[in-house]
Amino acid sequence: MQDLYLENKNRILSVKDLPTLPAVLDEVTELVQDPGSSIDQIAKVISKDQVLSAKVLKMVNSPIYGFPRRIGTIQHALVLLGFNVIRGLIISNSVFDIMTKNMVGLWEHSLGCAIACAGIAREADLKDPEEYSVAGLLHDLGKLVSIIQLPEIKEEVDALVQEKDITYYQAEKEVMGFAHDRINAWLADHWNLPLRLREGLVWHHRPKSAQHYPEVACVVHLGDFLARIFQVGNSGDDQVNYLDKYVFKVLNLHQDKLEKAIEHLDSELVELRGFSPVATEGG
Amino acid sequence: MPKLENHIFLISADAELYTLLKSTCSYAHWTVFERGRGAIELLFNNPPDLLIVDSRMPDLQGMELIRIFKSENVYRQVPVVICLDREEVAAGPDLAAIEVDDFLVKPLDVDESRLRLELIMARASWELDANPLTKLPGNTSIIHKIQDMLDRKLEFALAYADLDNFKSFNDKYGFSRGDEVLMMTARVIVNTIRAFAGMESFVGHVGGDDFVFIVPPDKAESVCAMLVQNFDSIVPNFYDPQDLKQGGIHSSTRDGRASFFPLMAISIAVIFNRNGELTHYGEASEKAMNLKSVAKKEPGSSYVLDRRQPSG
Repeated sequence: MQDLYLENKNRILSVKDLPTLPAVLDEVTELVQDPGSSIDQIAKVISKDQVLSAKVLKMVNSPIYGFPRRIGTIQHALVLLGFNVIRGLIISNSVFDIMTKNMVGLWEHSLGCAIACAGIAREADLKDPEEYSVAGLLHDLGKLVSIIQLPEIKEEVDALVQEKDITYYQAEKEVMGFAHDRINAWLADHWNLPLRLREGLVWHHRPKSAQHYPEVACVVHLGDFLARIFQVGNSGDDQVNYLDKYVFKVLNLHQDKLEKAIEHLDSELVELRGFSPVATEGG
Repeated sequence: MPKLENHIFLISADAELYTLLKSTCSYAHWTVFERGRGAIELLFNNPPDLLIVDSRMPDLQGMELIRIFKSENVYRQVPVVICLDREEVAAGPDLAAIEVDDFLVKPLDVDESRLRLELIMARASWELDANPLTKLPGNTSIIHKIQDMLDRKLEFALAYADLDNFKSFNDKYGFSRGDEVLMMTARVIVNTIRAFAGMESFVGHVGGDDFVFIVPPDKAESVCAMLVQNFDSIVPNFYDPQDLKQGGIHSSTRDGRASFFPLMAISIAVIFNRNGELTHYGEASEKAMNLKSVAKKEPGSSYVLDRRQPSG
């Protein structure tokens, strides 16, 4: 069992490439080929895609740049990487063939969660809402990486979700002995992501366990919940996760503020529906 | 970019090798020794810009001579080239062990040797002068760059930038976290400047928290404004949460008095060379230093542009 665990961990961490949404890749490729594009424009597009966002953060936090674990937003990452490096990173991405239907669902869910997190952070008066949005965007990265790196396990997990009508999270634990939150921890450590971001990625199912930055874990926990309630995309099952009331205490979020966050999410989601993640043109 | 006054030192008993090498770099000043032993003292007293050693010598082995020379830290920056023949190359010598910089294979090809030697000397000058932390050009390159632009009477804006409260950050968090901030600052300066001025810009690292950059005069103000904005938005990431919460570092001075240092900020002073007004590097840097004390008086990040019109 221990051997299998290690083997799975090694397979996860040996991930070489991950699929990027073709529409996002097209858009950002066009931007980086125009020297007149601003960092803000590029950041806005990259922030729609969990894989490009993860790649950018992994690169800027790599020891080569000299400040590992410091940078948690796309905007900052792009300022520090510079146009030249970003262009190199973008043009070396190619479109994956295996952009399956449930992966697109996962994208929409992740983006929905990111939007919800930004709204919650704003209503809870937290500094730098963008950081929370990044944590929301990347919260299911572990699922994506396991789909790519452990495809045979993914089928088993899907079957179990259907058969027992349980959450993807529960099914992952039954099949693998660990779930995507653990995978997130491995990736965050391996890629030198900042501790704040790590806490959000690792503890979004168990916000009480976040010791250093409970507010990030709480925002993502609630963001994930809202994205599921609003049925934005699909994160692998039809369940609504258990909502830990602890988050309201930590975030000091009263009903009126929560309602505002929900309204914000609702209006932003209308915009998201107009954004077709797969079609490269026409829609 | 070989300089005219390059001093090349050759140790070889092979007259033909000398004639051939000399024809590749005839503009340089050559010193030739036929024997290794006799050369060492002169070499130590008067290190050249490039040392070429023939591996086959009657007295001392070329490899041994190079080992003696390179093992002293003060001579390590002098690039050393060894000339081997085919037979020696085939034997697979461990050149890295003697820290030789490059090798040529006899019989030499004139054109190839010329390119190789020029590149070796240029590379040595880049590597010697680069700041060991950020790898940006250091003082010598900065001075050359500025003096060259002054001599050519080019119009440019010259900026000196440094960090406020960097010392207190270093004292509290230690040098390695201080280095993180310097690496970040270097990236912010390089990328911000390139975004506005493209490749017609220059960034150098004087040392510590002092940086220098050169941009076209019309870009100076927008570069400074963006630099301040980028720096101020990124620097909080480098503090621990409790210091961030209180907006800076509390510490006590040696005599026990408590003092407070706000978050680090960037101060920039910019002077302009218009109509070939400035002639000497020293003049330019003094003017900028005086101006920076004005920028430093402002709390937080700030920049000051020298608006004075040229006299006359």
